[in-house]
Amino acid sequence: MQNDPHDIDPALLRSWMVKYICGVLGLDIATFSTSDRFDVYGLDSVEAVIMAGVMEEEFQVIVDPHQFFDTPNVDAFVAAFTARDAE
Amino acid sequence: MTRLSLVVVSYEMARELPRTLLSLSPAHQGVEPGEYEIVVVDNASRTPPRAEDFAHLGADLSVLRCSAPSHSPVRAINEGLAQARGALIGVWIDGARMASPGLIRACAAAAALHPRPVVATLNYQLGPDLQRISSAQGYDRAREDALLDSIAWPGDGYRLFEIATAETRGGPLGAMLESNALFLPRALWDELGGYDEGFAEPGGSVVNPDTLIRAVELPGTQLIRVLGEGTFHQIHGGLSTSTQDRAMNMLKEGSRTYLRLRGKPLMPVRFRGWTYDSRTGAVER
Repeated sequence: MQNDPHDIDPALLRSWMVKYICGVLGLDIATFSTSDRFDVYGLDSVEAVIMAGVMEEEFQVIVDPHQFFDTPNVDAFVAAFTARDAE
Repeated sequence: MTRLSLVVVSYEMARELPRTLLSLSPAHQGVEPGEYEIVVVDNASRTPPRAEDFAHLGADLSVLRCSAPSHSPVRAINEGLAQARGALIGVWIDGARMASPGLIRACAAAAALHPRPVVATLNYQLGPDLQRISSAQGYDRAREDALLDSIAWPGDGYRLFEIATAETRGGPLGAMLESNALFLPRALWDELGGYDEGFAEPGGSVVNPDTLIRAVELPGTQLIRVLGEGTFHQIHGGLSTSTQDRAMNMLKEGSRTYLRLRGKPLMPVRFRGWTYDSRTGAVER
């Protein structure tokens, strides 16, 4: 580590998150909404923290799990995490 | 012959371990002393517990000292498993967890339902919220002591449910990340190879979830969740219960370790399995 989150392709990250969440929760990717809150489809805080760890391994970035609670859907998280002014 | 063994790991639990062992004692559990043994494995406490300190409990109790203590409890657990003589063995990765009064009988009854049972009990934490949250709001050992006094514990051990918070937010049939205490027959523990010493981080990281997952993935095993009983965590500064940030960091690092060791993401056990309700004896398959 470490890659810069700004260098991650947002579309790649969004796709990865959708695939990960659908895989973990057994959801249909075709009907998954990236604007729904994580808790709407049952991703709880424990699983969000686990996802942070997997994301760190996958993308070689540091992920603060609080970010999932501050931006609690895929679209919002991806936008904030990859934004140029993100810290 | 000892039918059942309990392996309890302790580390710096002078306050918590006596309550845990009282909760597991024959009188509290309503089980004959000869029916089971308790193997405490101490992982290098500065003042290790001594078996004679618990002689008044009337239990078949031994205290071992881990031969190679570390920040991880895994070696201690495996040494306890090696020492255990029971045909059914329950592992307490955290000796700060008290048991409800029918837990041993219920787990033995649940295990008898299937030839390859994985008997999982539900985890609770004493206090008004998960301790990683309540500790930031002033919950501490003194408040916990007062809480236990308020239900006159150990008078009616089931009143622990009145002063505790469930760890499984999806209810007793929801996703289960881990179980403390986990009961498997001796042969299944051997097949599993005990706990994986690859989890060498402080507290063992996610070795307890890993063990549950590996156990239910063994061919032909049957998960059986025990309802109406539970283990109750006393606050003691453990990694996963002391503060929100520490708990989060431990789980995140554990997730990474798990991915590296297992090649797949850590996932709670989502399927329901069978249930055994100790209150009614009802079994749902």
